[in-house]
Amino acid sequence: MNPSNAPSAAEYGGDEVSAIVLDPGFSTTRAGFAGEDTPKSLIPTYYGKYSFEGQGKLIYGDDVFVTPRPGLSIHNPIGRDGVVEDWDMAEKVWEYSFTSKLTGAKPGNPLHNGLNDLPEGELPSEMEGVESEERPLADSPLLMSESSWNPAKAREKTIEIAMEKWGSPAFYLARNGVLAAFAAGKASALVVDIGASNISVTPVHDGMILKRGVQHSPLGGDYISSQIRALFKSNSPQPIIITPHYLISAKTAVEAGQPPQVKYKTFPPERAPDASYRTLVEERTLSEFKECVVQVWPGPTKLSSTGPNGTPNEEIARNSPGRPFEFPDGYNQVFGVDRYRVVESLFDAKAAIQDPESLFPAPTQAQTVPELIKAALNGVDVDIRPHLLSNVVVTGASSLLYGFTDRLNQELMQLYPGPRVRISAPGNTSERRFSSWIGGSILASLGTFHQMWISKKEFDEHGPNIVEKRCK
Amino acid sequence: MSLASGVQIQDECMTAFNKLRMTGGTKGAKPKFIIFKIADNKREVVVDEISEETDYEVFRTKLEKSVDAKGNPAPRYAVYDVEYNLGDTEGSRSKIVFISWVPTDTPTLWSMIYASTREVLKNALNVDKSIHADDKSEIEWKAVLAEASSGKAI
Repeated sequence: MNPSNAPSAAEYGGDEVSAIVLDPGFSTTRAGFAGEDTPKSLIPTYYGKYSFEGQGKLIYGDDVFVTPRPGLSIHNPIGRDGVVEDWDMAEKVWEYSFTSKLTGAKPGNPLHNGLNDLPEGELPSEMEGVESEERPLADSPLLMSESSWNPAKAREKTIEIAMEKWGSPAFYLARNGVLAAFAAGKASALVVDIGASNISVTPVHDGMILKRGVQHSPLGGDYISSQIRALFKSNSPQPIIITPHYLISAKTAVEAGQPPQVKYKTFPPERAPDASYRTLVEERTLSEFKECVVQVWPGPTKLSSTGPNGTPNEEIARNSPGRPFEFPDGYNQVFGVDRYRVVESLFDAKAAIQDPESLFPAPTQAQTVPELIKAALNGVDVDIRPHLLSNVVVTGASSLLYGFTDRLNQELMQLYPGPRVRISAPGNTSERRFSSWIGGSILASLGTFHQMWISKKEFDEHGPNIVEKRCK
Repeated sequence: MSLASGVQIQDECMTAFNKLRMTGGTKGAKPKFIIFKIADNKREVVVDEISEETDYEVFRTKLEKSVDAKGNPAPRYAVYDVEYNLGDTEGSRSKIVFISWVPTDTPTLWSMIYASTREVLKNALNVDKSIHADDKSEIEWKAVLAEASSGKAI
């Protein structure tokens, strides 16, 4: 028999599958139908909590940004290390990601939806055999992605939610490093993923992650935000305070560097949202700042050292044209060398801008991108290192920082002067932001993928541990 | 089981490969290389070409010029029977090298399908020497020779 043939058709058969692909990140959760180019549903993983007339309320999706409700506080069910901390809320946020835009909300219990209320004087009829609740994924196989260091317990919990809570007929859990490598056409690659809460380096060989080589550190997009905040505090001519739009009632245009002319909206303490709401909204301004202003120093030498002709790099950076940025309160300024300084510590820990109040401790050199790559390569067989270096795949939204891949290339060429270093990074921004989702979308849409799915029947027979055996 | 597309290997691939692998007495008619592709229905790997052509550059050009139904550059898999000489004491040898060719500008759909089917085909053929290339410089003769001989033949 041809050794590549599947032993027998899986319980879950048929090509007309409308699988759902769910790629849950720390900052955003991506969900959509398999076969589509980009995830239809892109929501923040953050959710809001407030109380109204004594009742606890929750808000999900983009709605969290909209209204500064009294006492509104912002939370995230996922830990900074990318592993779920609050399973109940993770389930709710993920469920919202597909029910809000893809599958529709599940209908309520037919006993209570009013359609089956008894007209007066009539006796109740048999309600047996009526499912008390329709489950949200009863018709949809589900492919989810996960980080390379997701522990076995978390993987089992994930399949339990999919099968038992959502009623999915089939499930698969794929490592996002493998999905990103495959999406770049490679079965072996070194995947460098720059996310919001983490940066990670995952060696993938022959379609499998090499666990010993997997490295990650917290210097992701949120860390860069903390560096920008540190910069704003020490800014001259004056410290910059980010005032979100919801706190501004009127503003007048001002010249660059002049104090903002603004009328603030004030909330009495009992009407004010929690500080976590303001932080979340400020983050949107910081994202815009990263997209428009921040630039990675191109190298080849560190920003703090001297270029080939003896001029300090900082001076070259200072003399290059700056970029203007206007804040929500109208304050605006041109940023010169500082726009390089806020990201330099991704490569050179000593360059970090000090801020004792920051949530992020000062980085160590071992947490920087080049050192993570070095550690990842040291963790794998020496024979495959050159191959991984010639197949570096860069992904993750924060890798879109202007100049990031050029600098990474310089750093790697210096670290490894011998072997050929080649970076592949999609130029298309949505492919860079959603590469794991897109990879999952393609696989789950293939008719032939049915043999990979774990069916409900298999789950019932073998229990949640089947995910460890089938999704390697 | 690692993550894979589930794309099947057609029996004709195994038949063709066994022909290439069988060395021995029969003169002539020994294939030098086989080029495989994934059929447009995205369900199976089929033989694109089997050839006795011994000029490596002919093979390389063929791989490079592979196109899809619309004439755009397209990925392929191939096996090549590499012969090399290790000098007087060790003599001449031959080794089969598996090549996956996914040119840089391949659409993501096909990159994904080819990457996620690669190990299944490679394992079915049971070839352990392999090269992945997305650029023609990676399939120069010396790269293939180095892989086949584990760097011994130059």
